[in-house]
Amino acid sequence: MRSIAFLGRGGQGIVFAGEVIAETLFEQGLYVAQLQSYGAEVRGGSVLSYVVFDRDRVENPFIESFSLAIVLHEAGMRRWMKHLEGSDLVILDELVSAELRNAVKLPISRVCVEKGVLGRENVVAIGVIAASGVLDPSVVERVLSRKRGFEKNIEALKLGLELGRDVADRVAAVLRL
Amino acid sequence: MSVAKHFSRKYLREEVLPTPFCPGCFNGVVMNAMFKAMEELGIEDLRNFVFVSGIGCSSWIPNPLIRADSLHTLHGRAVAVATGVKLANPRLNVVVIGGDGDLVAIGGNHLLHAARRNMDLLVVMVNNMVYAMTRGQLAPTTPLGFRTATTPYGNFEPPINVAKLLINTNANYVARWCVSNFHKLKQSFKEALSEVSKGFRFIEVVAPCITYVVRYEGKTPGQKIKELREACVEVKSISEIDDVERRGKIAVGVFKKELKPGYVELYESYASRAREASQK
Amino acid sequence: MVRALLSGNEAVAEGALAAGCNFFAGYPITPSSEIMHYMARELPKRGGSFIQAEDELAAINMVIGASWAGARAMTATSGPGFSLMQEGLGYAIMTETPLVIVNVMRAGPATGQATKAAQGDLMQARWGRHGDQMIPVLAPSSPQEAYDLTIEAFAIAEELRTPVVVLSDEFIAHGREVVELREKVEIPSRRKPRDPSEPPFGSPDPRIAPPMPPLGEGYYVIVTGSTHNEYGYRDVHSFETHFRLVKRLVDKIRLNVDKLFRYEVLGDDDAEVAIVCFGSVSRSAKQALRMLRSRGVRAKLLRLVTLWPMNDEVVRRELRSAKTIVVPEMNLGQLIYDVQRLAREDSRIVAVNKVGGGIPIYPSEIVEAALGGSR
Repeated sequence: MRSIAFLGRGGQGIVFAGEVIAETLFEQGLYVAQLQSYGAEVRGGSVLSYVVFDRDRVENPFIESFSLAIVLHEAGMRRWMKHLEGSDLVILDELVSAELRNAVKLPISRVCVEKGVLGRENVVAIGVIAASGVLDPSVVERVLSRKRGFEKNIEALKLGLELGRDVADRVAAVLRL
Repeated sequence: MSVAKHFSRKYLREEVLPTPFCPGCFNGVVMNAMFKAMEELGIEDLRNFVFVSGIGCSSWIPNPLIRADSLHTLHGRAVAVATGVKLANPRLNVVVIGGDGDLVAIGGNHLLHAARRNMDLLVVMVNNMVYAMTRGQLAPTTPLGFRTATTPYGNFEPPINVAKLLINTNANYVARWCVSNFHKLKQSFKEALSEVSKGFRFIEVVAPCITYVVRYEGKTPGQKIKELREACVEVKSISEIDDVERRGKIAVGVFKKELKPGYVELYESYASRAREASQK
Repeated sequence: MVRALLSGNEAVAEGALAAGCNFFAGYPITPSSEIMHYMARELPKRGGSFIQAEDELAAINMVIGASWAGARAMTATSGPGFSLMQEGLGYAIMTETPLVIVNVMRAGPATGQATKAAQGDLMQARWGRHGDQMIPVLAPSSPQEAYDLTIEAFAIAEELRTPVVVLSDEFIAHGREVVELREKVEIPSRRKPRDPSEPPFGSPDPRIAPPMPPLGEGYYVIVTGSTHNEYGYRDVHSFETHFRLVKRLVDKIRLNVDKLFRYEVLGDDDAEVAIVCFGSVSRSAKQALRMLRSRGVRAKLLRLVTLWPMNDEVVRRELRSAKTIVVPEMNLGQLIYDVQRLAREDSRIVAVNKVGGGIPIYPSEIVEAALGGSR
């Protein structure tokens, strides 16, 4: 059993990212469970979205730490700090000021600004995961093609694949079943 | 010696007679008017009818008296149940019979929304002006000044004018008659079962409770009928209603008569749009 | 068999459609609305009826009317709406109206936390109506079970002429998992009376529901929520009629307990530690069971799929060896009443109660409770 979590704030497409990951892994033939938790109903509140996956039916989706967590915004991190501290690997956007012993920082938001895919941090992050090979980029593409904003998303995905190259081994190590 | 059977008996369950109503109760007038209309329309049996009622004296008119399928439902919920029946089997003629408390107080929301939807129902409201079955409490239709068990010093809550309210909805048919207008009431039943047989049809029958209104006033049913006959003024257009009521009279008549498509018809065309959309 | 990635709410809707549901009336409420959205999309194009009611009172009563008119009818709601529907459920029980009602539990009372999972409606599902009554309550623990149990609920409703509750919760409702969809579900047609002389509200064997005469076919059926005899005639005075009717209605469910009671047992037969649970919490409980056993603790898990009627014998038997019984619930303690009633007297019963904020009970909390720390 492995898991991938996205943390951020409302409006960042955190749930969208969970959906894309879940659908991709499902199409790759795995069993998945996708859950989300909103800190507040309003935009800007903290959001957690995560996917548990396994070769067999997922026994328990109510997990206490993640194999991989990607934090796109500090909002709501505190609420899930215990989960993050216990996780195998955390990827923080470089604008997140928090420090964690198991974390690496990546310039996800900066890439979005510089390359003109503003607001696609979530899809860049998916690309970062896909760089590890755990997500098949062609399946991710297929999943994205069914959703809104396909062209921009593909751009963002490619940027993520690029950005994730340096951490690919570490991501693969925590996610491989 | 044989006695000719009353014409209405073919619509009744003989085995439950006599009725549970107080002697002189005007519910009998309402039933007779409806049955007479049915007979004149050539309706021999009621197998294509479903009667739905809630709780109250007039809710006992259909269940179990009428020889037809009938649902005697919860207080206030008759219109909602009737809606479910109609949508699940649109072939059926669904008639709701209930009192003012049942249909307008506790069930007021359902009445309003069924009228908004122009739901294909005939709703007969027997307005007896009080809660009679529970022994004479205030109803939303009780006239001002009226003494009831819960307004022992005289009602100070202005009553609701249900028919007038429903004119302003999408209802196809709105009529009000007094039990003293037997012939006109029967004509309205005929209209609502034949000419205007779709959409929401509402007939209010002013039928003061014999026990908690008429007897309280120290009158006999005959005196009350005579009084109602004088109090009722038939209007030809809705603009006359207010004028009649300002004079302290009861406006009666067919207030609204339209032939707009009812909910069932609208849903059918909606469903065909849905089918087309899914084929694309 | 088709595999799909579905939320619990979508799975309920798929299950209902597979079971032949052709009428849905509902009122919007979080976290159950997606069931209604799904039915709103599907029913019109499949020849069924969908209506958004003016309130939950209307919704349940429309469902009742539709069921009598021959439809396989359902509604879905959450706590506040479930409260409003209790009256209608009582009527459906009294009139033996088949219907399915899904309650997606959220944190209450009152408006509470509309978007957060809870299991606080367990006792309401059992006792929510006034008077003597019982209806089957099924509790899924995953979208797959939400699908399967909704199909099951329709089968039970039709066979026993009763409302059936599917008790889901927000975690199941909004969590997406892999669901195996059946290609074909048997939809037996409703048993009608042979002729009008066969009573529609009486049965010599209380375990067998009387046949149901559909409206509009000349049966001239009398349906009433008042006490009635086997032909539907009101009798609001006699002791015999009331006692016979209400006893039969309760026995119809209670005496079918062997057929209705579904449960899952995992772990050691001679367990010293038992976890008793239902619904989504069972997922954490299963992991907790594995954790306990990997530490050498002889442990078992008893998961109730059918909450009511409860099979006392089964629960008693399964808890016979347990010295410690952990009851994790997303409420302040409801299932625990029956555990206390059925466990051996010398057992230590530990409650794990947590509700609100959308935070689940975690496996470690169950393990901790089992190993000593009582909360």
